[in-house]
Amino acid sequence: MSETYAVELKSVGKRYNEILAVDQVDLTIKTGEIFGLLGPNGSGKSTTLKMLLGLVQPDSGSVNVLGIDVQKDAVAVKQLVGYVPESPRLYEFLTGIEYLDFIGDIYGMQTAEKKTRITEYLKALQLEGREGDMINGYSEGMKQKIALISAFLHRPKLLILDEPLSALDPRSARIIKDFLHQLKMQGVTTIMSTHVLEIAQAVCDRIGIMYQGRILALGNMKELRQMSKLPDSGLEDIFLKLTGTDDIRAVVEELLK
Amino acid sequence: MNWKNVLSLMRVERKAGRLIRGRKLTKYRESGFLAYWPYWVALALGIAGGVLVGMVYNFASTNDPEIYALFQQGTLSIFLSLPTLVLVYSLVFTTMQQIQRSGVKISSQVPYWLPVTWQEHTLASILASLLGFPLASVMFITSIITVFSVFIGQVLPALLTSLAVFAAAFMASATTEILRILQVRFIGAVYKSSGRAAVWVRFAGSLLFFLVFYIIYFYVTSGGAVTFIQTIASAQTAAWFIPFVWLGMTLYSFTSGLLLQGFIFLALSILFIAGLFFLAILLNRRFGLYEPPALTISRGTYAPKTGVLGKLGFSMVEAALIRKDLRAFTRRRELMTIFIVPIVVILVPLMQSLGQTNGAFPSEAAVFMLAMTFLFPASVMAMSLGSLIIGEEGQVVWRIYSSPISAKTLVKSKYFFIIFFSLIVLAITGIFGFIVYHPSLRATIVAYCEAVLLVFAIGAISLSNGIRGADFTETPRPRMIHLSWSMINLCACLVAGIAILAPFFPYVLSSMLSEIMPGLTGVALLDPLLAVVVSAIIAIILTAIFYRIALKNARELLTKAEM
Repeated sequence: MSETYAVELKSVGKRYNEILAVDQVDLTIKTGEIFGLLGPNGSGKSTTLKMLLGLVQPDSGSVNVLGIDVQKDAVAVKQLVGYVPESPRLYEFLTGIEYLDFIGDIYGMQTAEKKTRITEYLKALQLEGREGDMINGYSEGMKQKIALISAFLHRPKLLILDEPLSALDPRSARIIKDFLHQLKMQGVTTIMSTHVLEIAQAVCDRIGIMYQGRILALGNMKELRQMSKLPDSGLEDIFLKLTGTDDIRAVVEELLK
Repeated sequence: MNWKNVLSLMRVERKAGRLIRGRKLTKYRESGFLAYWPYWVALALGIAGGVLVGMVYNFASTNDPEIYALFQQGTLSIFLSLPTLVLVYSLVFTTMQQIQRSGVKISSQVPYWLPVTWQEHTLASILASLLGFPLASVMFITSIITVFSVFIGQVLPALLTSLAVFAAAFMASATTEILRILQVRFIGAVYKSSGRAAVWVRFAGSLLFFLVFYIIYFYVTSGGAVTFIQTIASAQTAAWFIPFVWLGMTLYSFTSGLLLQGFIFLALSILFIAGLFFLAILLNRRFGLYEPPALTISRGTYAPKTGVLGKLGFSMVEAALIRKDLRAFTRRRELMTIFIVPIVVILVPLMQSLGQTNGAFPSEAAVFMLAMTFLFPASVMAMSLGSLIIGEEGQVVWRIYSSPISAKTLVKSKYFFIIFFSLIVLAITGIFGFIVYHPSLRATIVAYCEAVLLVFAIGAISLSNGIRGADFTETPRPRMIHLSWSMINLCACLVAGIAILAPFFPYVLSSMLSEIMPGLTGVALLDPLLAVVVSAIIAIILTAIFYRIALKNARELLTKAEM
């Protein structure tokens, strides 16, 4: 395991009955990198992210996160990772502050540090005044903010974020994007999965495109443009070309008939 | 009114039953015949029952004219009480349907963006609450009385009764619909105005609702159908001014030849049902899209505390998990029902025994009641908590999976919670038992010791099963444990309970035999504390074994967190 890699996947495979979710994936992500994992629905992104946390056991291969073999010591990995799943479910019977307090305790944070950080994050994401309400009364955006704060709270070395900006208002989305860049400067690695390709293009240093359980393309925007032979195109065109879903016009015309 | 819309909405509600039954939705094919099997079966059973009773009647009445008269009179009084009887049953069962459906938010949510009127939505909701057991029971009742009426020559009263029974079921469902809307709207307002005390208002309110509901349910279902019918038949005419018995009064008037009175009650019944329906529409239109306000639990500056649990030696993670569970059990309505069991266990037998003995307990009954009050509620609490405490995490279980929580931490915190709550229940029920049954000090100590042993062993057993059989499904309601594992757990706890209490069986046996053979007192002379020691050894062994199994199951749960 090289010290410069935060994540190292070697020949990782995962099958759910007849469905091959992840097919012999090899992937390395550098420390301090913001990595975007893209792909159509059912391409294996979420399974790959879950395997990084030990939430899903690979059928084959090895998963190394921050120098730790996930299969050997998942708890140690989880201690260093901040995770936001796609549509995160929270304890709705707790208040926002109680939830964050719970998270702080789970990650063993000191009382003073926990209080300072919770207060800062609540203020930054404009949740002040609503932190004492039970979460079941929150909007989707507010729930997403609480989920994001719970991922950042313990200052993790690796962030695994599945659709992190969904349901956020523009101000909060901008704060999170800038914050991720600041964390990058501090050496925090971020793996982000999103369907909003503009966000991926704007935020990520490198992008991996998954399709049918495999990494179809990997690199920065320049490298992806070369691979797709679309020198002046944006990520959307590259994505559609690489994943073989560029027949959009024909589909729309068919719908208009 | 667009009837197609009503039918479509009802179809959605009916299909919500797939989620209630926990059907797997992949490759789901529905057979039209099988989808309606409860109704076909109810109909077939009703027809068969009607023919059978009719044949018995034919056989008996041809030989004895007295039986003929008795059948005629008895049948008529049953016919008259049926609408009110169905009304009471339907109120209970449509309420249960509403509770079930409230979890299926997708289907019970008002599709306000669709071209559906409030009339259509309300009618569909009222009719949908009748689907399942309420409708099947009505079909059974109407088919049996209609078929039997052919034998007895009372076809017209039977047909009128059948119509009245359907109307009574609709009346009950409309009432349930009205109560549902009022409950959502006004309880929401009570919470809002309660401020920080809202959680306790909700806690006490929910407990009270379920307590009243279960007491009515037990009274209706365990009191005996014959007694219940007799009570209704006699009380109906006296309470003629209550609109809910007007259907029964209509039948009574027609069968007694009071045609004018019959028509008046018929008109009043129709008006009342229409009134209920329009009130339901009105309330739905006004409050149908009402969202209960968010509860504000805490205000002011956030001040994290180390808490008592930390001082007791629990790690930060363990204390956090215990605190979180404590909040879950006092704030989540479906978890609050767990407190009903000990209350019902105390109240129901006490009420029955007080009624039977006029407050005085015979010594054998007192010993039995004492044992039941000490041993049963705390053990049931340990069993229920243990089986649910992992599954209650529901879909939020990702938080447990993705956090740095070890199997040891998880089991320790959850086990502590089970023991802590069960011992609180034991303390309360024990004090209650001591005050009511006046046991000797020795009997009290023995009972407390045995209850504690049962709590520890059953807690460990049910926790191990609760982890193994955890069901995190939340739609339409949190399932918490797979049915098969719930059954396994029940059997395992029963066997363990018998094993722990087994050393006391010789005492019970010798006490029973000593009444027949007064000289046989050898075993009873032994100190029961000896039995407590043997019992403790069995309990400790069981606790140790199952705690280890719980740890093993937790390790498996956390490493195979396939979400």
